[in-house]
Amino acid sequence: MVMIMDNVIDIQNVNLWYGDHQALFDVSMPVQKNKVTALIGPSGCGKSTLIRSINRMNDLIDGCRVEGRMMFHGEDIYGPGTDVIKVRKKIGMIFQKPNPFPMSVRDNITYGPKIHGITDKDKLEEILEKSLREAALWEEVKDRLDKSAMSLSGGQQQRLCIARTLAVSPEVILMDEPTSALDPIATSKIEDLITELVKEYTVVIVTHNMQQAARISDYTGFMYIGEMVEFDKTDKIFQNPSKEMTDRYISGRFG
Amino acid sequence: MGLTDLLTGPRWRSSEGLYGTVPIITATLLVTAGAILFAVPIGVAAAIFISEVTPSRFKSVLKSISEVFAGIPSVIYGFFGLTVLVPLLRDTFPSHLLMGYSWLAGSILLGIMALPTIISVSEDALSAVPKSYREASMAMGATKWETTIKVVTPAAISGISAAIILGIGRAVGETMAVMMVCGNSAIVPDPIFNVFSRIRPITSTIALEMPYVVIGSTHYSALFFLALILMIMVLAISMASKIIVNRTRRKFGETENKPSLTGIIVAKLPVPLVNGFKNALVVAGLFLIAYFISLTFSNSFGAVLIGISVTVAIVASSLLWLNRLKNEGVSDRPRNPSEFIESIPVKIKAVSRNIITYALVITVVFMGASLFYDDVVAFMAGLAVAAAYVTLRSVFRRIDSRVVQKVAHTALLAVMIFAILLLVYILADIFIEGLPMITWDFLTGYPKDAGRAGGIYPAIVGTLKLIVGSMIIALPLGMITGIFLAEYAKDTPFTRTVRNSIDILNGTPSIVFGLFGMSAFVIYFGFGNSLLAGCITLGLMVLPVIIRTTEEALKAVPGELREGSMAMGATKWETTVKVVLPAAIGSVITGVILSIGRVAGETAPIMFTAVIMYQRVMSHSIFDPVMALPYQLFYLATEGMGSPAMQSAVATVLLIMVLSMFTLASVVRHYFDKRIRW
Repeated sequence: MVMIMDNVIDIQNVNLWYGDHQALFDVSMPVQKNKVTALIGPSGCGKSTLIRSINRMNDLIDGCRVEGRMMFHGEDIYGPGTDVIKVRKKIGMIFQKPNPFPMSVRDNITYGPKIHGITDKDKLEEILEKSLREAALWEEVKDRLDKSAMSLSGGQQQRLCIARTLAVSPEVILMDEPTSALDPIATSKIEDLITELVKEYTVVIVTHNMQQAARISDYTGFMYIGEMVEFDKTDKIFQNPSKEMTDRYISGRFG
Repeated sequence: MGLTDLLTGPRWRSSEGLYGTVPIITATLLVTAGAILFAVPIGVAAAIFISEVTPSRFKSVLKSISEVFAGIPSVIYGFFGLTVLVPLLRDTFPSHLLMGYSWLAGSILLGIMALPTIISVSEDALSAVPKSYREASMAMGATKWETTIKVVTPAAISGISAAIILGIGRAVGETMAVMMVCGNSAIVPDPIFNVFSRIRPITSTIALEMPYVVIGSTHYSALFFLALILMIMVLAISMASKIIVNRTRRKFGETENKPSLTGIIVAKLPVPLVNGFKNALVVAGLFLIAYFISLTFSNSFGAVLIGISVTVAIVASSLLWLNRLKNEGVSDRPRNPSEFIESIPVKIKAVSRNIITYALVITVVFMGASLFYDDVVAFMAGLAVAAAYVTLRSVFRRIDSRVVQKVAHTALLAVMIFAILLLVYILADIFIEGLPMITWDFLTGYPKDAGRAGGIYPAIVGTLKLIVGSMIIALPLGMITGIFLAEYAKDTPFTRTVRNSIDILNGTPSIVFGLFGMSAFVIYFGFGNSLLAGCITLGLMVLPVIIRTTEEALKAVPGELREGSMAMGATKWETTVKVVLPAAIGSVITGVILSIGRVAGETAPIMFTAVIMYQRVMSHSIFDPVMALPYQLFYLATEGMGSPAMQSAVATVLLIMVLSMFTLASVVRHYFDKRIRW
């Protein structure tokens, strides 16, 4: 385990239950600032559960219970005094299937800022353009900001969702298999975007595509049946993993 | 008597041979508008509460409460209106209401009756909004309430409008309840928004005058004309809801309903012709609305002038708009109104939306207040409410979003509790009065003194006979048609047209069935006022329900079951009878029981085909009329016959009969749900 100085998020011995079913076992993992941290592992290994627990999206599921510490800038995300809304504002999330709201492109982007109390029209326009530019979508949609977001292509929709998250200026962006519903070209655009974004933001990404993890991430965690089997620099995981199980998964012998 | 006289005549007085439908149609429009104004806020709030706030384990409880609301026969609502609502209104507004019978009473009652439709359809629409929208919003730090009001409700808005339209359909076609509380004077309220005025909608007019009409007279034709207008309204409503549902499907990327025959014919016509026709429809609609409203304060010539000028003004201004847009190069000439609206700049849209909202608030408050105070005060009141609305909005914007959520959820809870208490009150009021009266002698005795005293044995038996008779007619026909549509009919434009027609029949007001039953079976076939005519009429009325529930139940059976059976060499018929039907039987039985409940409570279709008020010796011929519980209740309550307790007792027996059907249906459904799973 590498010890890193600049940890934005530090997950320490987290256990998670859905009712009686335990989904995470004693998981620990650091997330370093301005880096891409990838989570890989076979289906049902708990990687989505883990990423969703970082900004407390699992709160929406009845009977979900978390133990252990999940530190965000030294404060426990699950601490008694923690404001969920602030956590989610600082830690945004992108989902598997692009999920733009059935509204105009403009309303999609300004939704978050408005929720968080920004009413000034000029400020909103500024945020609109900035976020769309950051998500590499501005040029494609600047002439149809008032058209429905549902009329965009799948890849554009996913970049819109990224822009929507950027509009509330988060520090960390969680991505839960963001390209699994996209074609190869749209996928590579998103991957390029992630490499750009990480200069300003911190990214945690769940992917079932090992090449993707190898291409874009700095750190990789391999999970299996709710446990963090191995966490290390991406190069190390893919070239010289220390656990045999990781090696077998990477080389495609199971999973 | 010409069409223009019918449509523009300001007076309906059958005794003088005056059959102007203006006050009658206006009454239907007004009472429906009032009902919607009452029911939409409560219904949508309750739907939001059930879908978004209620923990999942309580959802089914609240939904079944709403189903009980839907199952109560309209004559019971009418009885409640007559005995509770009307006196309540009379005592609340003593200077405005002498008796309490009024448009207001009718609208409140119809609003209560439209509630279950609005609640259940809106709730379905809200629940159908993908979970991913909610997650995306919450992941950005929005509260549950912000998500509900800014994402989920807008996404479900088409479904909610469909719910409102269906609610309107329910209100437009309702007969018994309206007839019992509206006062039945064929007048136009003065001023037009005077909710304390007595009115007489289309349905009540047909029900009131049909028993006394001379067959084949002008009067007779005028009543059929009213029924035709009613059918056109219902058709328009059902088409509107279909179009909206289709749009929703398109929005969520689901497959649209395939076109029926009319759809295919329309697609084959040249585009300019179709667009021209659509434009003509819009223009005609604008004209008719303007014309009709102005008829209430002007003569017909003036109304035509006003109608034309208003229409020209609206069309011209919108064309000017389009032209200006074109000149500025903002957009090409939009082809239809929705594109036109899309082309309006966002800021203008926002401002005009606000103006419309405030204008509406001020107008509604002004109308209400001007009935009590003079116009200046009323207008000030309107301004005050609008100002309060603006202030509240800006205050809420400043408050912490979690506090707003608390307030909003509490308000929703309050609405939900109000709706439930209303139901409990209606039921309790009737049961408490009625239950003590029910004795063995009451249930098995014959009526005495024109129904004022004695028992209701013939009415119970009559209702049972009507149920059995209508089922003998509707069950085989309906189930065979349903099986045919589900298993044998190919999906062609023709079968889709058949399905659409069945749906339209399903939404047809029961009074129209009554009218049809009377002219066809009672008069034309010469069955007379008889059990037979009543059973056929009721049978026809529930036929569409049985067809559709059978069809839906069979379609829900997975295709693998059929393939499994066919793969062993079974014929299609053997597969249907031995595999598919048994698998679907739970839903079919549920549907049948529900339609029995409906038959038991219906009054309008039998009141001039089958019933008699008073029968001292029961006849067993199918060509003789019968007594029936719902009609008995209507008769006793409206004629003021018998003690209130006696009336409540009849209502209690009817309620127990109908509600036990609904309980039975839900027990059957749960039993089969548990047994069969796929």
